[in-house]
Amino acid sequence: MTVTDPALGDARETAAPGVATRILRSPSLRLIVRRLLAAIPIIIGVSLLTFIVLSLIPGNAAQLLLGPEATPEQVEAMTRQMGLDQPPVQRYLDWLGGALTGDLGTSLVSQQPVTSELGVRLGVTGELVGLAFLMSLGFAIPVALLAAYRPNRLFDRVSMLVSITGLAVANYVIALLLVLVFAVQFTFFPAIGYVPLSQGLGENLRSMLLPAVSIAFPLFCFYTRFLRGDLVDQLQGEDYITTARAKGIGPWQVLLRHAFRNSSFGLLTVVGLNLGTLIGATVIIEQIFALPGIGQLMLQAINTRDFVVVQACVVVFAVVAVLANLVTDLLYAVLDPRIRYGNR
Amino acid sequence: MAIVEASASPALLEEAGQGRVRGWLRHLELAFPIGLLTLIIGACFFWPMIAAVPQPVGGDVLESNLPAFSPGHLLGTDPNGNDVFSRILYGGRSSLVVGVAVNVLGLLVGGTLGAVSAYAGGKIDAVIMRLLDVLIAFPSLVLTLAVAQSLGPSQLNTIFALAFFSVPAFARVSRAATLRLREQPFMMAAQLCGTSTWRMLFRHIAPNITPQLVTFSMLGMGIIIVIEGALSFLGLGIPPPAPSWGNMISQGQQALSATPMLVVWPCVVLFLTVLAFNLLGETLRGRWSGR
Repeated sequence: MTVTDPALGDARETAAPGVATRILRSPSLRLIVRRLLAAIPIIIGVSLLTFIVLSLIPGNAAQLLLGPEATPEQVEAMTRQMGLDQPPVQRYLDWLGGALTGDLGTSLVSQQPVTSELGVRLGVTGELVGLAFLMSLGFAIPVALLAAYRPNRLFDRVSMLVSITGLAVANYVIALLLVLVFAVQFTFFPAIGYVPLSQGLGENLRSMLLPAVSIAFPLFCFYTRFLRGDLVDQLQGEDYITTARAKGIGPWQVLLRHAFRNSSFGLLTVVGLNLGTLIGATVIIEQIFALPGIGQLMLQAINTRDFVVVQACVVVFAVVAVLANLVTDLLYAVLDPRIRYGNR
Repeated sequence: MAIVEASASPALLEEAGQGRVRGWLRHLELAFPIGLLTLIIGACFFWPMIAAVPQPVGGDVLESNLPAFSPGHLLGTDPNGNDVFSRILYGGRSSLVVGVAVNVLGLLVGGTLGAVSAYAGGKIDAVIMRLLDVLIAFPSLVLTLAVAQSLGPSQLNTIFALAFFSVPAFARVSRAATLRLREQPFMMAAQLCGTSTWRMLFRHIAPNITPQLVTFSMLGMGIIIVIEGALSFLGLGIPPPAPSWGNMISQGQQALSATPMLVVWPCVVLFLTVLAFNLLGETLRGRWSGR
């Protein structure tokens, strides 16, 4: 979905813009509509793939729900009640029809509507991911700027060493070590559990801090390396930097106003792409810290063969990934007038 | 690196000294990760053949939770009385086998798909890339969890599940490399000679994109070992009692406050292995991109 893929770019350009887009002349609106249209087949493809994978899984939700002592007749009746006796194509189309109207189905296990359950859990996961991004970018940008200010000096070397080492630490390893140090040895933080925002911001943040740090640290390392490398490339190779320096602009100004502004594009792309892949991280971290987020819901649902819930979770993840890409592209347009008005 | 003439000025000599340090650093960049990997691989695969290492499973419960440096148990034992050092070695075997297998699968299948896609162009390219787009937009861990769940946890199934991660990634790298290659004059020359498509793919494209794919697979090893650990940690990878670093961490987590070292040891070797692969991958990438 990035602009770096030439094939995708071609496909988007050759696709007819459609009547609606021709009426609305605004370039940003056209961009949004074009990207949303391109996203639809991907989301449908993802949901179809999930459906196929899930129907290949042996084991019947009805059998699991009723337990090993259920008679074949009971299982059969339950299967019919759940609608699992329908042919797969019919089930998929029914599901798709419901999903388009905002109804993601009813959980096979809890018999609750999935949409409301997802809403609650999306908040927890959203807070976790949001905090992690804030922390990682909040630390990575200043560190990368300081490192790029004097490349190959002590601060640069140390920060690069820390970040390449940190990249080798899996997030679940960090999570367990943090629990070991801060929750077991010194009881600063609760080891597991989630305190909702309604019980006070302080308590809520206290329960979220360790999980968020576990996700944020590898991201911090990655962003620091990435941004530092990009900044140094800009500073060393680009003519506009030479121009700015020749005009007598101070080194910090050149770094912040000129180089960083250009490097922020690359960073933005990486952040947008990461948002999609962060889902994998949240599944494990939510499991370790017993946070009632979407990752935990999905893992439970996979274990109980609650396919309706798994399907809904996957679609939510895919939509988030696609929207993240869309927002990234729109931010490009905000940052760079050439993209806003030009034909690329 | 620099050859210093006998009559060189002191300033030049100083520069040469710096060059020598830099040269050493350059060697170390490659030697350190390779040495570390040799050590880890040697320990996991060959040390149990040479030395008397206790079996990783079937320990005596009477010998449970021994501290490190107990006689006969270098790193102590776990709650089931199994030797921790031995479990780390045998667990490393499964992690490394999974890592290598997944990356080889990715390199062969993904590499071929990407190269064919880029070389053929047009509709074939569009179809292959759209399929891979769906696989990439798909939260990969979900797919791996589902595959692991549907095929049942075992080493072979873990490999298949993780291959879903590696194939699209390798295909991307291979496609980009082949596209760049297509612009080269020798490709045109080969085509004008009437070289068949298969010969083009295997004799002209494959040798040229292999270095990039191998470099990428070093970084891939680190990622796959981490994900394998995650799957085993979630109980969907290598099934206990067979050891793997992931399921050792998962088992140790249950008694984190009483016996923290049971979590720390596998975490440390996991970290060192991934670090070595990452450093090697970074260095190779730097060399190939002509730094």
